[in-house]
Amino acid sequence: MSSPPDDVDLSRVWIGVAAQVWRRQPGRLERAAGRLLRSPGLARALLTTPSLLLPWLIASVVVLAAGAAATLGSGQPVTALLAPAVAAAAIAYSYGPGIDPAWELACSMAVSVRMVLLARALAVFAVNALLGLAASAVSASGAAAAVTFGWLVPMTAVCAFALAVATVARSANAGAAAGVAAWLIVVLSGRVASGDFTAAVADPVLFLPYLAAGAGCAAVALYATRIPRGTSR
Amino acid sequence: MNVEIADLTRRFGRSQAVDGVNLQAGPGVFGLLGPNGAGKTTLLRMMATVIPPTAGRLRLLGRDPGAHGPRREVRRRLGYLPQNLGYYPGFTVTEFVEYFALLKEMPAARVPAAVAAAIEQVDLGDRARAKLRTLSGGMLRRVGVAQAIVNEPELLLLDEPTAGLDPEQRVRFRALLRELGQQATVVVSTHLVEDVGTACSQVALMDQGKIVFHGTPAELTARGTEQGTGDAPLERGYTAVLAAARSHAVARS
Repeated sequence: MSSPPDDVDLSRVWIGVAAQVWRRQPGRLERAAGRLLRSPGLARALLTTPSLLLPWLIASVVVLAAGAAATLGSGQPVTALLAPAVAAAAIAYSYGPGIDPAWELACSMAVSVRMVLLARALAVFAVNALLGLAASAVSASGAAAAVTFGWLVPMTAVCAFALAVATVARSANAGAAAGVAAWLIVVLSGRVASGDFTAAVADPVLFLPYLAAGAGCAAVALYATRIPRGTSR
Repeated sequence: MNVEIADLTRRFGRSQAVDGVNLQAGPGVFGLLGPNGAGKTTLLRMMATVIPPTAGRLRLLGRDPGAHGPRREVRRRLGYLPQNLGYYPGFTVTEFVEYFALLKEMPAARVPAAVAAAIEQVDLGDRARAKLRTLSGGMLRRVGVAQAIVNEPELLLLDEPTAGLDPEQRVRFRALLRELGQQATVVVSTHLVEDVGTACSQVALMDQGKIVFHGTPAELTARGTEQGTGDAPLERGYTAVLAAARSHAVARS
């Protein structure tokens, strides 16, 4: 076998070959997210959140499908009562030191963890809202406006609360538990006050407090992930 | 100077992890020695922009990492291997290194070749497509080094990089350090004095949050000629400087 010419850098050639052989082809969704977010890194980070992985999505679909079936059978808005709790758990597990094993490393990256938080929370919320809407449509639980204000508004508040607790406590488990527990307390309080389990999603008086609580919790989450002040003085 | 630190302090509650550190470092390999709890990891985490200082002045690559824009620029040019490398067990070696290359905002077109080069530099070419959960501790450490060097950083921060490496790998890694140090500032925190002796051009010794020695490995060795305990000359210098620093601290208090 003849040896290669002297001016051929074999290790450089091998790196070129290895780069082609080992390279990962991003999926259609990741390419679209990369274009939308104008950042391939953010798109990759977005799709690595457990709450957008298949097992999570299947679990959410199963719970909401069961809720839709129960709504059809009982005439009670079970989907509306389930959706906020499901979404809160998903949001809590979408981001943070409690769920990201490479958190320390992520904190030293040019794509900031706060951008990752915002992109993931928004995407997870949107996916869960779509699943909830689909479940509501299947169970014919009411007009679009009723569906939107019936559970989308409380879902926003509960998600923001779960996110705030997860970021402050640096624990996804704490965030999920707090979100589900808060929603349970709201539903049970409505039952005690009005004698109706569905008061938490049916009483329009609650919409403004939900929105205020959601905004407050979102502010807490943003504060907890704020960019540290200048250090050079 | 790629690293300029003046009176840098970091507190966690009542505990003072780093206490008024002054340090400057240009290109080359800089060793950070010290016992457990000396503040090495906290100092490295501040230099990696993971945590902000409580007080003091920190400039990296000529920029102030306290401001958003300069910090982002510093992070693009930074490589960091934390003491405890968290990883995604389902990722392959290539996917893991590529993920962090993208998060460092490397141009996407340059990423595949940079990933391949980094993996080859740490001798993991034969495991490039293996899942991380199948790798040994030493191999995972090398994956961590690969993600740290994938962007050809101007400032490379390595916390215990040789932990878990076998002697042969350790020797090769020191050669890699010397190679990287020709262009970049490489700061290596380690317990292993032989790493410092063979790979570093400068060394600082930390104890109780302070830098108690700063010089060359030869100067540290010279401190141990008359006193100090240990099997190797550098070890004797290390223990002699530590003993002197502690007796000073006791005398002051």
